[in-house]
Amino acid sequence: MKEICAEDIKDLCAGAAFLATGGGGDPYVSQLIAERLLSRYGPAKLMPLDKVPDDFHVVSIGMVGAPTVTLEQLPTEDEAVKAFDAYQTLTGKKIDAVIPFEVGGGNSTVPLTVAAMRDVPCIDGDGMGRALPEAQMMTFPIYGVHPTPAVLRDAWGNQAILDCNDAETFERHVRAMAVTMGGMISSAEHGMTGAQARRAAIPKTISFATNLGKLLRDHDGIVDAIQGSIVELFKATDYGIVRRLYTGKVVDNERKIVGGYDVGTATIQSFDANVAAMTLLIKNEYLIAKVGEEVVATVPDLICIVEQETSRPLNAERMRYGQRVTVFGIGCTHHYQTDKALKVASPRAFGFDLDYVPLADLGRT
Amino acid sequence: MKIGIDVGGTHTDAVVMRGLEILATHKALTTSDVKQGIVEALDTVMSIANLDSADITAVMIGTTHFTNAVIERKELSETAIIRACLPTGSGIPPMCDWPEDIANCLGNHVYMLKGGHRFDGSEIHGLDDREIGTVLDDLVSKGIESIAIASAFSPINNSHEHYIAALAKAKIPDANITVSHEIGRLGILERENAALLNASLGGLAQSVVSNMKAALVERKIKCPFYVSQNDGTLMSADFIARYPALTFASGPTNSLRGAAVLSKLDNAIVVDIGGTTSDVGVLANGFPRESNSFIDVGGIRTNFRMPDIMAIGLGGGSLVSADGKSVGPSSVGHRLVKEGQVFGGSQLTATDIIVAAGHQDIGDVNKVSGLSGSLVSKASAAMHRMIDDAIDKMRPSDEPVPVILVGGGSILITGKLNTASEVYCPEHAGVANAIGAAIAQVGGEVESVVSYNKVKRDKAIESATQAAREKAIKAGAQEQSLRVLDIEETPLSYMDDNAVRLRIKVIGDLKQVRQS
Repeated sequence: MKEICAEDIKDLCAGAAFLATGGGGDPYVSQLIAERLLSRYGPAKLMPLDKVPDDFHVVSIGMVGAPTVTLEQLPTEDEAVKAFDAYQTLTGKKIDAVIPFEVGGGNSTVPLTVAAMRDVPCIDGDGMGRALPEAQMMTFPIYGVHPTPAVLRDAWGNQAILDCNDAETFERHVRAMAVTMGGMISSAEHGMTGAQARRAAIPKTISFATNLGKLLRDHDGIVDAIQGSIVELFKATDYGIVRRLYTGKVVDNERKIVGGYDVGTATIQSFDANVAAMTLLIKNEYLIAKVGEEVVATVPDLICIVEQETSRPLNAERMRYGQRVTVFGIGCTHHYQTDKALKVASPRAFGFDLDYVPLADLGRT
Repeated sequence: MKIGIDVGGTHTDAVVMRGLEILATHKALTTSDVKQGIVEALDTVMSIANLDSADITAVMIGTTHFTNAVIERKELSETAIIRACLPTGSGIPPMCDWPEDIANCLGNHVYMLKGGHRFDGSEIHGLDDREIGTVLDDLVSKGIESIAIASAFSPINNSHEHYIAALAKAKIPDANITVSHEIGRLGILERENAALLNASLGGLAQSVVSNMKAALVERKIKCPFYVSQNDGTLMSADFIARYPALTFASGPTNSLRGAAVLSKLDNAIVVDIGGTTSDVGVLANGFPRESNSFIDVGGIRTNFRMPDIMAIGLGGGSLVSADGKSVGPSSVGHRLVKEGQVFGGSQLTATDIIVAAGHQDIGDVNKVSGLSGSLVSKASAAMHRMIDDAIDKMRPSDEPVPVILVGGGSILITGKLNTASEVYCPEHAGVANAIGAAIAQVGGEVESVVSYNKVKRDKAIESATQAAREKAIKAGAQEQSLRVLDIEETPLSYMDDNAVRLRIKVIGDLKQVRQS
């Protein structure tokens, strides 16, 4: 079985920041705590998704809340692992393996720390293959895993167990609980059998994010030089297609808070005056990219932005005038290409009057 | 009359100014004895301007002393950090990401206590007097008198920091204490780092300030003196002894502000071209635009107010490739006067190109007469392109902007800059830093998280502005001259309640300075 050790964390965090498609928050805090915990408890075992036994009880673990809160209210050493323990106590079910909600941003590392501390494997996979803002957008509920019982725990040791009728209700309730419980909580949820996990989870994303992050960090220079390597890396996976959509300068980034999310528009202008500007529509993550009036990529496909000169992934909240960036469109995994998945993760699910057209079918090259 | 002095790593510059008029300038190498260097600078400019000590209304000093102390890990005191945050935060203790050498300098005296606040200002946990007492006993037994205190969300509620500080002061009367909310903004890791650095510089600050004071006393100058800080505003001499870390970026800030005065422009790009690098900064309303990202000071992550400076590898000593297509980032630096071709050396530098092109008469022009015209024009074009690219990244919109060139390397720019609406090369550009120090103003800033559902937006801004004005007046600003420099609102992602992080900064003229 493969392992993730403290020395891998910077790579994993860089790769996860790329796959976060603009969301996921600042990865520095999660990087620090993961490095510390893995140094102390040893590496986390990484179990390939296709090796998970049918009768395993698999639970997804991560943080829910406002990333801004973690700027001051730093994580405890044991909050996530106590949520793990409480899940076992309150549900009476032993957890055999953990799996991340998402491979984008800080939630990629939380399950690895729990795995190291409780000596259970962490599955090399996740429930999004990227970052998305809401629980019902995870592949787990889309492919029939019920989100509850879910155990929520705050830094004070307060716990709540949620039992909800469906994923949308769960998202509403867990969000409200996160605000009530201090702004940021740990959640152990989406209990599933190994057989269910193999059907519902996206495989190999943790090891993939680590490899991707290593490529970006080792290079730390102009993105053109590693574009070929990025394409090759994705081509060998279920994501498949990578398309360089645009290179230019950020000329506008206007965002405001609507319904508890960052919503807004960013504009990127090409260095070639004959090319129309790119517009990005944002709800925490980059959701839709247009060049002029032409749509060139939409959610659930990934829109990933890196700084042109450093190849470092760029968060939406860090974007500002003058940055030179390159925008990539990347195919979503097949999990998101079904009608059921598109119902919760297509542009319409975010309130845009627009149907999803796969990147491969969109005209630009 | 005001005197501005810039004590840099290499040079100590001084100017005498009447209003915005420059009466005398002086540039000399920095001496190891700070006091002596200042005395000499004072003597020179006062004699040029024919000044008596009674004519001087204020002395402003800018210094890189404290930045250098951190970078070189010199003269730092052993310092403890007490963070009130438990039960949150145990996963990331203070100093856990510090480079080992500087962590060892400060002694790794790290304490975490129950306490701190949440984003809404309620307590994470109440403070425990006994728990605080145990920590203080430990400090007494170790003989540590330099203490940084931080608590979670202290920019929103600072009562826990104040309470711990009061107990520490009572127990250790000579303690040098820094409370984090006075020195940093939201982001506890960066703020407590700033507090730690500040506290560790306390001893050095006392000695530097007393040296500065002694220099003025020796020349019978009785007017107040000030030290310039990161954002181009001043603090009084007694403040600097308490907040030395706030001088970390005063060098580039003063250079930008000085350029504003010299060019009479409030909105422009300033390009400071030195021997090895060019620093490109932005003047917005007469002040440097601040950086959004985290600032690394000697390997430590901080979130100080710092100017947004982009450094690129182009200067007078930059090496030119054999085909002339690329210039820098390698440079002969201060060895230019030996290794550059016009000085008889063998390296082809940016300065050689300018001389060969006939734009400057430096060294021996015959030594570069053999360079091909195409190489010279290619290299010159490359230099202009580098500066143009840097300006393009920094300018606030894609409109052409006024560009101010300062620094010894500004001779490299001889032609048109595509990004510039106009290029200014002001006189006295070599002492821009000292001028920036002399004309510095006083500021006040507040930052808080407010819910616009609970408090109306205009009311929230009004009360924050008032708090900022009070801060500025306390720091020595003249009330009538105060104006709002910046209002920044950051929506808090995922947070209901329409919560925003609101930051307001006001600035004004120094009260004591009168135009003579």
